[in-house]
Amino acid sequence: MMAGEMRKSALMAIDEVNRSDEFDFTFTPHLRDPGGVVAAYHTACDDLIREEQVDHIVGCYTSASRKQVIPIVERTERLLWHPARYEGFESSDNVIYVGAAPNHNVVPLVRHMLDQVSSDVFCIGSNYVWTWETNRVIREIVTSAGGRILAERLLELGETAVDHIVREIIDRKPPAVFNTLVGESSYVFVRALHEAMIRARLTIPMLSCSLCEPELKLIGPAASVGYITSSAYFESIERPENRAFVARWKAGHGADSSPSVDGLSTYVCVMLLARAIRRAGSTDVGAVRRAAANHRYDSPQGPVWVDPDNNHCFLTPRLARSVPGCQFKIFWEADAPVRPDPYLSNLDLTAVGTRLERSNDAMTKRSSHLRIVK
Amino acid sequence: MTRPSPFSVRGRRALMVMRDEREISIVRRQLSRLGMTIAEHDPAEAPPDENADVVVMDADSIPIKSDLATAWKAGAPIIALIGTETPSRLKWLLDLQPASFLVKPLQSAGLYTALVVAFDSAQRRIDETAHLERLEDRIRSRRVVFAAVLQIMRAHDLSESDAFRLIRQTAMRHRTTIEQLSAEIIAAGGMPNRTSWTA
Repeated sequence: MMAGEMRKSALMAIDEVNRSDEFDFTFTPHLRDPGGVVAAYHTACDDLIREEQVDHIVGCYTSASRKQVIPIVERTERLLWHPARYEGFESSDNVIYVGAAPNHNVVPLVRHMLDQVSSDVFCIGSNYVWTWETNRVIREIVTSAGGRILAERLLELGETAVDHIVREIIDRKPPAVFNTLVGESSYVFVRALHEAMIRARLTIPMLSCSLCEPELKLIGPAASVGYITSSAYFESIERPENRAFVARWKAGHGADSSPSVDGLSTYVCVMLLARAIRRAGSTDVGAVRRAAANHRYDSPQGPVWVDPDNNHCFLTPRLARSVPGCQFKIFWEADAPVRPDPYLSNLDLTAVGTRLERSNDAMTKRSSHLRIVK
Repeated sequence: MTRPSPFSVRGRRALMVMRDEREISIVRRQLSRLGMTIAEHDPAEAPPDENADVVVMDADSIPIKSDLATAWKAGAPIIALIGTETPSRLKWLLDLQPASFLVKPLQSAGLYTALVVAFDSAQRRIDETAHLERLEDRIRSRRVVFAAVLQIMRAHDLSESDAFRLIRQTAMRHRTTIEQLSAEIIAAGGMPNRTSWTA
Protein backbone atom coordinates (compact mmCIF):
# COMPACT_ATOMS: atom_id res chain seq x y z
CA MET A 1 0.00 0.00 0.00
CA MET A 2 2.76 2.44 0.96
CA ALA A 3 4.46 2.29 -2.43
CA GLY A 4 1.22 3.39 -4.09
CA GLU A 5 0.73 6.23 -1.61
CA MET A 6 4.28 7.41 -2.17
CA ARG A 7 4.01 7.27 -5.96
CA LYS A 8 0.73 9.24 -5.92
CA SER A 9 2.33 11.87 -3.70
CA ALA A 10 5.46 12.15 -5.83
CA LEU A 11 3.40 12.58 -9.00
CA MET A 12 1.22 15.18 -7.27
CA ALA A 13 4.29 17.19 -6.29
CA ILE A 14 5.79 16.87 -9.77
CA ASP A 15 2.53 18.09 -11.28
CA GLU A 16 2.47 21.08 -8.92
CA VAL A 17 6.08 21.96 -9.72
CA ASN A 18 5.42 21.69 -13.45
CA ARG A 19 2.38 23.94 -13.29
CA SER A 20 3.94 26.48 -10.94
CA ASP A 21 5.36 29.81 -12.12
CA GLU A 22 7.85 29.63 -9.27
CA PHE A 23 9.97 27.12 -11.15
CA ASP A 24 11.37 27.81 -14.61
CA PHE A 25 11.84 24.10 -15.32
CA THR A 26 9.67 21.00 -15.38
CA PHE A 27 10.24 17.49 -14.06
CA THR A 28 9.87 14.44 -16.25
CA PRO A 29 9.12 11.44 -14.02
CA HIS A 30 10.60 8.07 -14.94
CA LEU A 31 8.77 5.41 -12.97
CA ARG A 32 10.13 2.03 -11.95
CA ASP A 33 8.37 -0.44 -9.70
CA PRO A 34 10.66 -3.13 -8.22
CA GLY A 35 7.57 -4.31 -6.35
CA GLY A 36 9.31 -4.84 -3.04
CA VAL A 37 11.68 -7.48 -4.50
CA VAL A 38 14.93 -6.42 -2.85
CA ALA A 39 17.35 -7.42 -5.60
CA ALA A 40 15.20 -5.65 -8.22
CA TYR A 41 15.96 -2.23 -6.70
CA HIS A 42 19.55 -2.42 -7.82
CA THR A 43 18.50 -3.24 -11.38
CA ALA A 44 15.77 -0.59 -11.48
CA CYS A 45 18.11 2.08 -10.17
CA ASP A 46 20.91 1.05 -12.51
CA ASP A 47 18.46 1.25 -15.41
CA LEU A 48 17.23 4.73 -14.38
CA ILE A 49 20.78 6.04 -14.29
CA ARG A 50 22.12 4.31 -17.42
CA GLU A 51 19.10 4.42 -19.70
CA GLU A 52 17.19 7.48 -18.54
CA GLN A 53 20.24 9.42 -17.32
CA VAL A 54 18.42 10.60 -14.21
CA ASP A 55 20.42 12.56 -11.62
CA HIS A 56 17.92 12.34 -8.78
CA ILE A 57 15.95 9.34 -7.58
CA VAL A 58 13.00 9.62 -5.19
CA GLY A 59 11.92 6.47 -3.42
CA CYS A 60 12.63 3.30 -1.43
CA TYR A 61 10.42 2.45 1.51
CA THR A 62 12.34 -0.33 3.26
CA SER A 63 15.92 -0.20 4.49
CA ALA A 64 16.71 -3.36 2.54
CA SER A 65 15.79 -1.62 -0.72
CA ARG A 66 17.70 1.53 0.21
CA LYS A 67 20.83 -0.52 0.93
CA GLN A 68 20.56 -1.93 -2.61
CA VAL A 69 20.42 1.52 -4.15
CA ILE A 70 23.10 3.29 -2.11
CA PRO A 71 26.13 1.60 -3.77
CA ILE A 72 24.95 2.72 -7.21
CA VAL A 73 24.15 6.32 -6.29
CA GLU A 74 27.48 6.56 -4.48
CA ARG A 75 29.43 5.09 -7.38
CA THR A 76 27.72 7.21 -10.02
CA GLU A 77 27.44 10.33 -7.85
CA ARG A 78 23.64 10.59 -7.95
CA LEU A 79 21.25 11.59 -5.17
CA LEU A 80 18.59 9.35 -3.60
CA TRP A 81 15.80 11.30 -1.92
CA HIS A 82 14.55 8.88 0.72
CA PRO A 83 11.07 9.62 2.14
CA ALA A 84 10.54 6.89 4.74
CA ARG A 85 11.25 7.03 8.43
CA TYR A 86 13.86 4.44 9.30
CA GLU A 87 15.95 3.06 12.17
CA GLY A 88 18.96 5.36 11.71
CA PHE A 89 22.67 4.50 11.90
CA GLU A 90 23.40 5.48 8.34
CA SER A 91 24.55 8.66 6.66
CA SER A 92 25.47 8.61 2.98
CA ASP A 93 26.60 11.70 1.08
CA ASN A 94 24.42 10.50 -1.78
CA VAL A 95 21.18 10.18 0.14
CA ILE A 96 18.92 12.96 1.42
CA TYR A 97 16.98 11.43 4.31
CA VAL A 98 13.62 13.21 4.44
CA GLY A 99 11.80 10.76 6.74
CA ALA A 100 12.03 10.82 10.51
CA ALA A 101 15.24 9.78 12.25
CA PRO A 102 14.86 7.71 15.45
CA ASN A 103 15.19 10.83 17.63
CA HIS A 104 12.14 12.31 15.85
CA ASN A 105 10.06 9.20 16.00
CA VAL A 106 10.78 6.58 18.64
CA VAL A 107 12.36 8.66 21.36
CA PRO A 108 9.48 11.16 21.92
CA LEU A 109 6.97 8.31 22.06
CA VAL A 110 8.96 6.31 24.62
CA ARG A 111 9.45 9.46 26.71
CA HIS A 112 5.72 10.09 26.63
CA MET A 113 5.07 6.50 27.62
CA LEU A 114 7.39 6.80 30.61
CA ASP A 115 5.98 10.19 31.64
CA GLN A 116 2.29 9.51 31.17
CA VAL A 117 1.49 5.84 30.64
CA SER A 118 3.76 3.25 32.17
CA SER A 119 7.37 2.32 32.68
CA ASP A 120 6.65 -1.36 31.99
CA VAL A 121 5.77 -2.36 28.45
CA PHE A 122 4.92 -5.38 26.30
CA CYS A 123 6.55 -5.14 22.85
CA ILE A 124 5.27 -6.80 19.70
CA GLY A 125 6.76 -6.26 16.27
CA SER A 126 7.70 -7.65 12.89
CA ASN A 127 10.88 -9.72 12.73
CA TYR A 128 13.13 -7.33 10.81
CA VAL A 129 15.65 -4.54 11.25
CA TRP A 130 13.25 -1.70 12.05
CA THR A 131 11.64 -3.57 14.96
CA TRP A 132 14.96 -4.93 16.22
CA GLU A 133 16.47 -1.49 16.41
CA THR A 134 13.32 0.25 17.67
CA ASN A 135 13.00 -2.35 20.42
CA ARG A 136 16.63 -1.83 21.35
CA VAL A 137 16.04 1.91 21.74
CA ILE A 138 12.86 1.28 23.75
CA ARG A 139 14.72 -1.16 25.98
CA GLU A 140 17.61 1.22 26.52
CA ILE A 141 15.41 4.16 27.48
CA VAL A 142 12.91 2.15 29.52
CA THR A 143 15.49 0.24 31.55
CA SER A 144 17.56 3.36 32.24
CA ALA A 145 14.38 4.89 33.67
CA GLY A 146 13.91 1.86 35.90
CA GLY A 147 11.15 0.29 33.80
CA ARG A 148 10.90 -3.21 32.37
CA ILE A 149 10.36 -4.84 29.00
CA LEU A 150 7.71 -7.40 29.95
CA ALA A 151 7.98 -9.29 26.66
CA GLU A 152 9.36 -8.93 23.17
CA ARG A 153 7.26 -10.91 20.70
CA LEU A 154 8.18 -11.03 17.01
CA LEU A 155 6.14 -12.14 14.00
CA GLU A 156 7.55 -12.86 10.55
CA LEU A 157 6.74 -10.17 7.98
CA GLY A 158 3.24 -10.79 6.62
CA GLU A 159 2.36 -13.30 9.38
CA THR A 160 -1.29 -13.02 10.43
CA ALA A 161 -1.48 -15.77 13.08
CA VAL A 162 -1.64 -13.42 16.07
CA ASP A 163 -4.05 -15.17 18.42
CA HIS A 164 -1.40 -16.64 20.74
CA ILE A 165 0.07 -13.19 21.36
CA VAL A 166 -3.33 -11.57 21.83
CA ARG A 167 -4.13 -14.29 24.36
CA GLU A 168 -0.86 -13.68 26.19
CA ILE A 169 -1.58 -9.95 26.38
CA ILE A 170 -5.10 -10.51 27.73
CA ASP A 171 -3.74 -12.99 30.30
CA ARG A 172 -0.87 -10.82 31.48
CA LYS A 173 -2.65 -7.46 31.25
CA PRO A 174 0.48 -5.35 30.65
CA PRO A 175 0.14 -1.62 31.45
CA ALA A 176 1.17 -0.76 27.87
CA VAL A 177 1.61 -2.48 24.49
CA PHE A 178 4.17 -1.12 22.04
CA ASN A 179 3.34 -2.22 18.50
CA THR A 180 6.04 -2.16 15.81
CA LEU A 181 4.30 -4.61 13.50
CA VAL A 182 4.03 -3.48 9.89
CA GLY A 183 1.50 -4.08 7.12
CA GLU A 184 -1.14 -6.81 7.28
CA SER A 185 0.32 -8.32 10.50
CA SER A 186 -0.35 -5.04 12.27
CA TYR A 187 -3.91 -4.61 10.99
CA VAL A 188 -4.88 -8.16 11.95
CA PHE A 189 -3.25 -7.80 15.37
CA VAL A 190 -4.89 -4.45 16.15
CA ARG A 191 -8.33 -5.82 15.23
CA ALA A 192 -7.84 -9.04 17.21
CA LEU A 193 -6.55 -7.27 20.31
CA HIS A 194 -9.42 -4.77 20.12
CA GLU A 195 -12.01 -7.55 20.08
CA ALA A 196 -10.26 -9.48 22.85
CA MET A 197 -10.07 -6.39 25.06
CA ILE A 198 -13.81 -5.77 24.61
CA ARG A 199 -14.57 -9.39 25.53
CA ALA A 200 -12.29 -9.20 28.57
CA ARG A 201 -13.52 -5.69 29.50
CA LEU A 202 -9.94 -4.47 29.46
CA THR A 203 -8.39 -1.21 28.31
CA ILE A 204 -4.68 -1.44 27.65
CA PRO A 205 -2.88 1.65 26.31
CA MET A 206 -1.36 0.94 22.90
CA LEU A 207 1.52 2.76 21.24
CA SER A 208 2.79 2.86 17.66
CA CYS A 209 5.38 4.86 15.81
CA SER A 210 4.22 3.94 12.34
CA LEU A 211 0.42 3.96 12.01
CA CYS A 212 -0.98 6.45 9.51
CA GLU A 213 -4.49 7.51 8.47
CA PRO A 214 -4.91 5.16 5.47
CA GLU A 215 -3.91 2.28 7.75
CA LEU A 216 -6.53 3.28 10.34
CA LYS A 217 -9.06 2.88 7.52
CA LEU A 218 -7.72 -0.56 6.67
CA ILE A 219 -7.93 -1.59 10.33
CA GLY A 220 -11.50 -0.35 10.63
CA PRO A 221 -13.28 2.54 12.36
CA ALA A 222 -13.76 0.88 15.74
CA ALA A 223 -10.56 -1.10 16.28
CA SER A 224 -8.31 1.73 15.13
CA VAL A 225 -9.33 4.12 17.92
CA GLY A 226 -7.05 4.94 20.85
CA TYR A 227 -3.55 4.36 19.51
CA ILE A 228 -0.93 6.76 20.86
CA THR A 229 1.16 7.41 17.78
CA SER A 230 4.36 9.26 16.98
CA SER A 231 4.87 10.87 13.58
CA ALA A 232 6.24 13.96 11.90
CA TYR A 233 3.00 14.27 9.95
CA PHE A 234 -0.71 13.83 10.62
CA GLU A 235 -3.53 14.85 8.31
CA SER A 236 -4.99 16.89 11.17
CA ILE A 237 -2.08 19.35 11.42
CA GLU A 238 -3.65 22.82 11.61
CA ARG A 239 -1.34 24.77 9.36
CA PRO A 240 -2.51 26.70 6.31
CA GLU A 241 0.03 24.81 4.18
CA ASN A 242 -1.45 21.51 5.36
CA ARG A 243 -5.12 22.50 5.01
CA ALA A 244 -4.36 23.52 1.42
CA PHE A 245 -2.39 20.31 0.82
CA VAL A 246 -5.16 18.10 2.21
CA ALA A 247 -7.74 19.95 0.05
CA ARG A 248 -5.60 19.37 -3.05
CA TRP A 249 -5.08 15.73 -2.06
CA LYS A 250 -8.81 15.10 -1.63
CA ALA A 251 -9.56 16.92 -4.90
CA GLY A 252 -7.14 14.60 -6.66
CA HIS A 253 -7.77 11.30 -4.88
CA GLY A 254 -11.31 11.50 -3.56
CA ALA A 255 -12.95 13.14 -0.55
CA ASP A 256 -12.72 9.88 1.39
CA SER A 257 -8.99 9.40 0.89
CA SER A 258 -6.33 10.56 3.30
CA PRO A 259 -2.69 11.48 2.80
CA SER A 260 -0.15 9.56 4.90
CA VAL A 261 3.14 10.46 6.53
CA ASP A 262 5.16 8.50 3.98
CA GLY A 263 3.19 9.99 1.09
CA LEU A 264 3.58 13.49 2.43
CA SER A 265 7.27 12.86 2.98
CA THR A 266 7.61 11.80 -0.67
CA TYR A 267 5.86 15.03 -1.67
CA VAL A 268 8.35 16.94 0.51
CA CYS A 269 11.25 15.09 -1.20
CA VAL A 270 10.16 16.37 -4.62
CA MET A 271 9.58 19.89 -3.31
CA LEU A 272 12.97 20.01 -1.55
CA LEU A 273 14.57 18.78 -4.76
CA ALA A 274 12.76 21.36 -6.93
CA ARG A 275 13.71 24.20 -4.61
CA ALA A 276 17.32 23.06 -4.41
CA ILE A 277 17.55 22.87 -8.21
CA ARG A 278 16.06 26.34 -8.50
CA ARG A 279 18.54 27.67 -5.94
CA ALA A 280 21.49 25.89 -7.55
CA GLY A 281 20.48 26.82 -11.10
CA SER A 282 21.38 23.30 -12.16
CA THR A 283 20.57 19.64 -11.55
CA ASP A 284 24.22 18.86 -10.82
CA VAL A 285 24.30 16.63 -7.76
CA GLY A 286 27.01 18.53 -5.90
CA ALA A 287 25.37 21.90 -6.56
CA VAL A 288 21.91 20.60 -5.59
CA ARG A 289 23.24 19.06 -2.39
CA ARG A 290 24.88 22.34 -1.40
CA ALA A 291 21.74 24.30 -2.32
CA ALA A 292 19.49 21.98 -0.32
CA ALA A 293 21.57 22.39 2.85
CA ASN A 294 19.78 24.58 5.41
CA HIS A 295 17.30 25.79 2.75
CA ARG A 296 14.02 26.04 4.67
CA TYR A 297 10.79 24.85 3.06
CA ASP A 298 7.46 25.62 4.75
CA SER A 299 5.90 22.26 4.00
CA PRO A 300 2.48 20.88 5.03
CA GLN A 301 4.22 19.26 8.01
CA GLY A 302 5.88 22.53 9.00
CA PRO A 303 9.32 23.93 8.26
CA VAL A 304 11.70 21.30 6.87
CA TRP A 305 15.34 21.69 5.94
CA VAL A 306 18.36 19.47 5.32
CA ASP A 307 21.07 19.32 7.97
CA PRO A 308 24.28 19.23 5.92
CA ASP A 309 26.09 17.50 8.80
CA ASN A 310 24.32 14.21 8.12
CA ASN A 311 21.93 14.80 5.15
CA HIS A 312 18.90 14.10 7.33
CA CYS A 313 16.12 16.67 7.81
CA PHE A 314 15.04 18.95 10.61
CA LEU A 315 11.47 17.81 11.33
CA THR A 316 8.82 18.54 13.96
CA PRO A 317 8.01 15.45 16.05
CA ARG A 318 4.36 15.08 17.04
CA LEU A 319 2.33 12.74 19.21
CA ALA A 320 -1.33 12.03 18.59
CA ARG A 321 -4.11 9.70 19.58
CA SER A 322 -6.22 7.96 16.95
CA VAL A 323 -9.87 9.00 17.25
CA PRO A 324 -13.14 7.90 15.62
CA GLY A 325 -13.23 8.73 11.94
CA CYS A 326 -9.79 7.21 11.24
CA GLN A 327 -8.03 10.42 12.17
CA PHE A 328 -5.39 11.46 14.68
CA LYS A 329 -5.84 14.12 17.33
CA ILE A 330 -2.49 15.74 18.01
CA PHE A 331 -1.79 16.33 21.71
CA TRP A 332 1.87 17.29 21.62
CA GLU A 333 4.37 18.72 19.19
CA ALA A 334 7.92 19.97 19.58
CA ASP A 335 8.35 23.72 19.97
CA ALA A 336 10.48 23.90 16.84
CA PRO A 337 11.88 21.58 14.18
CA VAL A 338 14.32 19.16 15.82
CA ARG A 339 17.84 18.52 14.57
CA PRO A 340 18.13 14.98 13.15
CA ASP A 341 20.26 12.59 15.21
CA PRO A 342 20.52 9.41 13.11
CA TYR A 343 23.10 7.82 15.42
CA LEU A 344 21.27 8.89 18.59
CA SER A 345 24.58 10.45 19.64
CA ASN A 346 22.78 13.10 21.65
CA LEU A 347 20.34 10.84 23.45
CA ASP A 348 20.89 11.62 27.11
CA LEU A 349 19.53 8.69 29.06
CA THR A 350 20.10 10.39 32.40
CA ALA A 351 17.58 13.04 31.36
CA VAL A 352 14.84 10.52 30.70
CA GLY A 353 13.74 10.52 34.29
CA THR A 354 13.09 7.92 36.91
CA ARG A 355 10.50 5.26 37.27
CA LEU A 356 6.92 6.51 37.04
CA GLU A 357 5.30 6.75 40.43
CA ARG A 358 2.28 4.57 40.91
CA SER A 359 0.23 7.52 42.15
CA ASN A 360 -1.82 9.80 39.95
CA ASP A 361 0.58 12.69 39.99
CA ALA A 362 1.70 11.97 36.46
CA MET A 363 0.51 15.37 35.25
CA THR A 364 2.84 17.16 37.63
CA LYS A 365 5.75 15.15 36.25
CA ARG A 366 5.21 16.49 32.73
CA SER A 367 8.60 17.42 31.31
CA SER A 368 9.25 21.04 30.50
CA HIS A 369 10.04 20.22 26.86
CA LEU A 370 6.45 19.13 26.28
CA ARG A 371 3.93 21.62 25.01
CA ILE A 372 0.19 21.11 24.76
CA VAL A 373 -1.39 21.96 21.41
CA LYS A 374 -5.13 22.49 21.10
CA MET B 1 53.36 -29.12 13.29
CA THR B 2 54.20 -26.07 11.22
CA ARG B 3 51.51 -23.47 11.20
CA PRO B 4 50.14 -22.28 7.88
CA SER B 5 51.03 -18.68 7.23
CA PRO B 6 47.98 -16.44 7.32
CA PHE B 7 49.22 -14.95 4.04
CA SER B 8 48.95 -18.21 2.12
CA VAL B 9 45.31 -18.76 1.35
CA ARG B 10 45.63 -21.00 -1.71
CA GLY B 11 43.89 -24.32 -1.25
CA ARG B 12 42.00 -23.30 1.85
CA ARG B 13 38.27 -23.89 1.92
CA ALA B 14 35.85 -20.97 2.09
CA LEU B 15 32.15 -21.33 2.82
CA MET B 16 29.95 -18.50 1.54
CA VAL B 17 26.85 -17.98 3.64
CA MET B 18 25.28 -15.23 1.59
CA ARG B 19 22.04 -14.31 -0.11
CA ASP B 20 22.66 -11.50 -2.58
CA GLU B 21 23.63 -12.84 -6.04
CA ARG B 22 25.72 -9.79 -6.91
CA GLU B 23 27.71 -9.99 -3.69
CA ILE B 24 28.12 -13.72 -4.11
CA SER B 25 29.61 -13.21 -7.57
CA ILE B 26 32.07 -10.59 -6.28
CA VAL B 27 33.27 -12.81 -3.41
CA ARG B 28 33.36 -15.92 -5.61
CA ARG B 29 35.52 -14.18 -8.22
CA GLN B 30 38.03 -12.98 -5.63
CA LEU B 31 38.20 -16.30 -3.81
CA SER B 32 38.82 -18.07 -7.11
CA ARG B 33 41.60 -15.65 -7.99
CA LEU B 34 43.19 -16.48 -4.64
CA GLY B 35 43.00 -20.20 -5.42
CA MET B 36 40.62 -21.07 -2.63
CA THR B 37 38.05 -23.86 -2.68
CA ILE B 38 34.54 -22.44 -2.55
CA ALA B 39 31.28 -23.81 -1.23
CA GLU B 40 27.94 -22.10 -0.72
CA HIS B 41 25.44 -22.49 2.08
CA ASP B 42 21.90 -21.18 2.55
CA PRO B 43 21.85 -18.63 5.43
CA ALA B 44 18.44 -19.94 6.47
CA GLU B 45 19.92 -23.38 7.22
CA ALA B 46 21.93 -24.57 10.21
CA PRO B 47 25.71 -24.83 9.69
CA PRO B 48 26.79 -27.82 7.57
CA ASP B 49 28.80 -30.70 9.00
CA GLU B 50 31.77 -30.53 6.66
CA ASN B 51 34.62 -28.32 7.74
CA ALA B 52 35.60 -25.03 6.18
CA ASP B 53 38.72 -23.00 6.93
CA VAL B 54 36.83 -19.72 6.83
CA VAL B 55 33.19 -18.67 6.62
CA VAL B 56 32.20 -15.55 4.66
CA MET B 57 28.87 -14.57 6.16
CA ASP B 58 26.42 -11.85 5.15
CA ALA B 59 25.46 -10.56 8.61
CA ASP B 60 22.19 -9.15 7.27
CA SER B 61 21.05 -12.54 5.99
CA ILE B 62 20.38 -14.10 9.38
CA PRO B 63 17.59 -12.77 11.62
CA ILE B 64 18.83 -11.30 14.90
CA LYS B 65 16.39 -13.32 16.97
CA SER B 66 17.43 -16.78 15.87
CA ASP B 67 19.56 -19.55 17.32
CA LEU B 68 21.64 -19.96 14.18
CA ALA B 69 24.32 -17.53 15.33
CA THR B 70 25.46 -19.67 18.25
CA ALA B 71 25.69 -22.70 15.97
CA TRP B 72 28.08 -20.83 13.66
CA LYS B 73 30.17 -19.51 16.53
CA ALA B 74 31.72 -22.87 17.33
CA GLY B 75 33.11 -23.42 13.84
CA ALA B 76 35.61 -21.88 11.45
CA PRO B 77 36.65 -18.21 11.70
CA ILE B 78 33.96 -15.91 10.34
CA ILE B 79 34.36 -12.92 8.05
CA ALA B 80 31.23 -10.84 8.57
CA LEU B 81 29.86 -8.77 5.71
CA ILE B 82 28.22 -5.75 7.32
CA GLY B 83 25.46 -3.70 5.75
CA THR B 84 23.33 -2.56 8.66
CA GLU B 85 25.24 -0.72 11.35
CA THR B 86 22.46 -0.53 13.92
CA PRO B 87 23.57 -1.37 17.46
CA SER B 88 21.03 -4.21 17.61
CA ARG B 89 22.72 -5.87 14.61
CA LEU B 90 26.24 -5.12 15.88
CA LYS B 91 25.41 -6.63 19.26
CA TRP B 92 24.36 -9.82 17.45
CA LEU B 93 27.59 -9.69 15.49
CA LEU B 94 29.76 -9.30 18.60
CA ASP B 95 28.15 -12.41 20.05
CA LEU B 96 29.25 -14.25 16.91
CA GLN B 97 32.88 -13.19 17.54
CA PRO B 98 33.82 -12.62 13.89
CA ALA B 99 37.52 -12.97 13.10
CA SER B 100 37.32 -10.04 10.68
CA PHE B 101 34.78 -8.13 8.66
CA LEU B 102 34.09 -6.26 5.45
CA VAL B 103 31.68 -3.38 5.05
CA LYS B 104 29.23 -3.53 2.15
CA PRO B 105 29.02 -2.60 -0.68
CA LEU B 106 31.69 -5.13 -1.54
CA GLN B 107 34.45 -4.48 -4.03
CA SER B 108 37.35 -6.52 -5.32
CA ALA B 109 39.78 -4.94 -2.85
CA GLY B 110 39.61 -5.82 0.81
CA LEU B 111 38.70 -9.49 0.77
CA TYR B 112 42.33 -10.66 0.88
CA THR B 113 43.01 -8.45 3.90
CA ALA B 114 39.90 -9.79 5.59
CA LEU B 115 41.06 -13.38 4.93
CA VAL B 116 44.57 -12.77 6.26
CA VAL B 117 43.24 -11.06 9.37
CA ALA B 118 40.72 -13.87 9.88
CA PHE B 119 43.35 -16.65 9.56
CA ASP B 120 45.78 -14.75 11.78
CA SER B 121 43.27 -13.96 14.49
CA ALA B 122 41.91 -17.52 14.38
CA GLN B 123 45.46 -18.85 14.94
CA ARG B 124 46.01 -16.34 17.74
CA ARG B 125 42.75 -17.44 19.31
CA ILE B 126 43.89 -21.08 19.22
CA ASP B 127 47.27 -20.14 20.73
CA GLU B 128 45.67 -18.04 23.43
CA THR B 129 43.18 -20.76 24.31
CA ALA B 130 46.01 -23.28 24.66
CA HIS B 131 48.01 -20.83 26.77
CA LEU B 132 44.99 -20.22 29.00
CA GLU B 133 44.47 -23.94 29.42
CA ARG B 134 48.08 -24.36 30.53
CA LEU B 135 47.71 -21.55 33.04
CA GLU B 136 44.45 -22.95 34.34
CA ASP B 137 46.10 -26.39 34.75
CA ARG B 138 48.82 -24.79 36.82
CA ILE B 139 46.30 -22.95 38.97
CA ARG B 140 44.36 -26.16 39.50
CA SER B 141 47.57 -27.99 40.54
CA ARG B 142 48.54 -25.35 43.08
CA ARG B 143 46.77 -27.37 45.75
CA VAL B 144 48.80 -30.43 44.76
CA VAL B 145 52.07 -28.49 44.92
CA PHE B 146 51.09 -27.08 48.29
CA ALA B 147 50.30 -30.54 49.64
CA ALA B 148 53.64 -31.89 48.31
CA VAL B 149 55.54 -29.03 49.94
CA LEU B 150 53.87 -29.80 53.27
CA GLN B 151 54.75 -33.48 52.97
CA ILE B 152 58.43 -32.74 52.23
CA MET B 153 58.54 -30.18 55.08
CA ARG B 154 57.28 -32.80 57.52
CA ALA B 155 59.32 -35.75 56.16
CA HIS B 156 62.65 -33.87 56.05
CA ASP B 157 62.00 -31.22 58.69
CA LEU B 158 62.54 -28.40 56.22
CA SER B 159 61.26 -24.86 56.05
CA GLU B 160 58.63 -24.12 53.40
CA SER B 161 61.09 -22.33 51.11
CA ASP B 162 63.67 -25.11 51.44
CA ALA B 163 61.04 -27.78 50.73
CA PHE B 164 59.89 -25.92 47.66
CA ARG B 165 63.47 -25.41 46.47
CA LEU B 166 64.11 -29.15 46.83
CA ILE B 167 61.02 -30.00 44.79
CA ARG B 168 61.93 -27.45 42.10
CA GLN B 169 65.53 -28.65 41.83
CA THR B 170 64.44 -32.29 41.69
CA ALA B 171 61.87 -31.52 39.03
CA MET B 172 64.48 -29.65 36.95
CA ARG B 173 66.99 -32.44 37.31
CA HIS B 174 64.45 -34.98 36.12
CA ARG B 175 63.09 -32.73 33.40
CA THR B 176 59.57 -32.71 34.64
CA THR B 177 57.30 -29.98 35.96
CA ILE B 178 56.88 -29.00 39.58
CA GLU B 179 53.20 -29.90 39.25
CA GLN B 180 53.96 -33.38 37.88
CA LEU B 181 56.58 -34.12 40.54
CA SER B 182 54.22 -32.87 43.25
CA ALA B 183 51.58 -35.32 42.08
CA GLU B 184 54.22 -38.10 42.23
CA ILE B 185 55.26 -37.06 45.72
CA ILE B 186 51.69 -37.29 46.96
CA ALA B 187 51.11 -40.62 45.21
CA ALA B 188 54.35 -42.10 46.63
CA GLY B 189 53.93 -40.59 50.08
CA GLY B 190 57.34 -38.92 49.74
CA MET B 191 60.02 -38.10 47.19
CA PRO B 192 59.65 -40.90 44.58
CA ASN B 193 62.42 -43.39 43.92
CA ARG B 194 64.80 -41.56 41.62
CA THR B 195 66.09 -44.60 39.82
CA SER B 196 62.69 -45.12 38.24
CA TRP B 197 62.95 -41.71 36.59
CA THR B 198 64.21 -41.25 33.12
CA ALA B 199 66.91 -38.71 33.48
